[in-house]
Amino acid sequence: MNRKGLKMANSCAVSTVRVSPGIEHSAPLTGAQMMKENPYRPWPARITSIIEVTATEKLFEFRLIDERIREAFRHEPGQFVEVGIFGVGEAPISISSSPSKQGFIELCVRRTGEVTRALHRMQCGDIVGLRGPFGRGFPFQDMKGHDILLVAGGLGIAPLRSLINNIHDERSEFGKVTIIYGAKVPAEVMFRQQFEMWRHRKDFDLYLTVDTPDDTWDGEVGLVTKPFEHLTIDAGNTFGAICGPPVMYRFVIDEMRKKGISYDHIYVSFERHMKCGMGKCGHCQIGHQYVCIDGPVFNYWEAKNIQGSM
Amino acid sequence: MLYRVIDAAELPLLVAAFMESYEVVAPVRTGKCYNFARIEDAGDIELGYDTTVIAPKKYVLPSAETLLEFDAKENGVTDYIAEIAPRVIFGAHACDINAINRLDLVFKDGPYPDPYYTARRKATLIVGISCTPSKNCFCHLWDSDEARFGYDLFLQDIGGRYLVSISSVEAANILEASCDPRVATDEDRISFRHATRRRQEAFNPDIPHIQEVAMLMDAFHKDPFWEELGGRCLSCTACSAVCPTCYCFDIRDVLDPDGKTGRRERVWDSCTAPQFAEVAGGHNFRANGRGRVRHRMYHKLNGFLANYNHMLCVGCGRCVTACKARINPIEVLRFFEQKGAEDGE
Repeated sequence: MNRKGLKMANSCAVSTVRVSPGIEHSAPLTGAQMMKENPYRPWPARITSIIEVTATEKLFEFRLIDERIREAFRHEPGQFVEVGIFGVGEAPISISSSPSKQGFIELCVRRTGEVTRALHRMQCGDIVGLRGPFGRGFPFQDMKGHDILLVAGGLGIAPLRSLINNIHDERSEFGKVTIIYGAKVPAEVMFRQQFEMWRHRKDFDLYLTVDTPDDTWDGEVGLVTKPFEHLTIDAGNTFGAICGPPVMYRFVIDEMRKKGISYDHIYVSFERHMKCGMGKCGHCQIGHQYVCIDGPVFNYWEAKNIQGSM
Repeated sequence: MLYRVIDAAELPLLVAAFMESYEVVAPVRTGKCYNFARIEDAGDIELGYDTTVIAPKKYVLPSAETLLEFDAKENGVTDYIAEIAPRVIFGAHACDINAINRLDLVFKDGPYPDPYYTARRKATLIVGISCTPSKNCFCHLWDSDEARFGYDLFLQDIGGRYLVSISSVEAANILEASCDPRVATDEDRISFRHATRRRQEAFNPDIPHIQEVAMLMDAFHKDPFWEELGGRCLSCTACSAVCPTCYCFDIRDVLDPDGKTGRRERVWDSCTAPQFAEVAGGHNFRANGRGRVRHRMYHKLNGFLANYNHMLCVGCGRCVTACKARINPIEVLRFFEQKGAEDGE
């Protein structure tokens, strides 16, 4: 009541944001609605397989526990998820499994920060929190009908593996597929078995190269740019995709440009520390772009137009 | 927009009416400066304030905010409810209202609406107040000296009375119930024009207006100026703390003393902090002051503009006061002004 004795319209109310272990709604929500309601909320996922890939990298397979979330989880090659361990924090990790395989999510994780160190100590059956997928991946649909040239350096193979396996599963949709993958030493070559098997396949041109060989190595020796010397490509009909350490991009892009591939047919994936994954927290910003929502995959034309990207 | 006039003497009644159902925060004197704080008595409000140390941004994006609570042993979330009480920000300047409008673009209207921000925004009414620019104000350069939306009421001081722009029905009800809003007369309108003219004439003429600053920043991206400007940054991050539009944050897990349970919270962060762009493994994409300060200025005066067609600076002048190393957008404007003058003729 007020001085005029009028009853005031009381439209103000306490707003609430609720996060609870179970989802209690009068109307059942779909997995997509559940994820959208609070995108900061991680969903529990169980580790179902761990493969030691190198001395510092492990390939984890996760299965989201809630069936609705598992069903709703759809990703593009090149996208990432935020992996969280409560009490330690979250880390953005690119998805290594192909969108053509549903129901599980593979992440190839290097032991390098607090979260990944904790993850490397975990075992099958343990639970982590996942949210995502986030970001813009490779333009898989646009790539169909074209030749593909994929160049990976070191851990850059992790996000490219998603694209490679996706192409593999829809191989007839693509023209010539060339994969160049370089590592420093043979011990750091990841998924070596898979690639060794592919070396004799006619439908993939595979170049495995290391900077420094050892007795076990019978592949190429040199930087990832070396195979370009004897590579013939149909530039007008080729999509290039590059992922690796930052120093590698300029050199590989130069080679692709020399071969005549258009700016906007060369795709790169950037590594930054995406903390929120939703274009807000600012940590992954380059120039005016957020790697987490505008990328992590950019074509070279876009990348050129971002101040400070290369 | 609907306009009405109320007498200055009615203002305490309006505040009291808001206080019946809302927490009211308003500028109050704290030592030698002003800050927004919860008020219990309308008499404590200092509507003639020049600026506050911290912007009212803190009411929609608190410096620390719990996102969820967890059980670390089970590695799962536990029940958590963020309750956001209805609140009135009373006496916000146009720059600060425009700043919140910018935050809305990122947190409310973007591809991932932020549930916490949105809940706070929904529970908040904003009553704006006209102001007289002080020496560090340059809101007029970025078209932020007028709030065209984003408030519920806006009070323009026209001498002993206020011309009130009424934007929301919620605030209109309270205004009508507590005051005697009357239709503006010709005299009121003339007073209003006098007031806006006085405000425009009060801006510091020494602050240069560089219309094409965004384009110039692209062209001068590699200029030694950035080394000079960024080189003196102390990484204290005061600029971001006082900035009404800085919204970058960190997400961190805080464990309770027992080590079993805890909360995930977001806290203000700043791109001028040395480790801000560091990735796991230690590589830092902006390892020096040059890169960090340049990035901050770019996001403010170029990048946000490219994405949203608005500067992410509202010219409030807080960073001009807060930065001990004299790094602020005015310095960038002065650089471009001199650039032409030295090399010209």
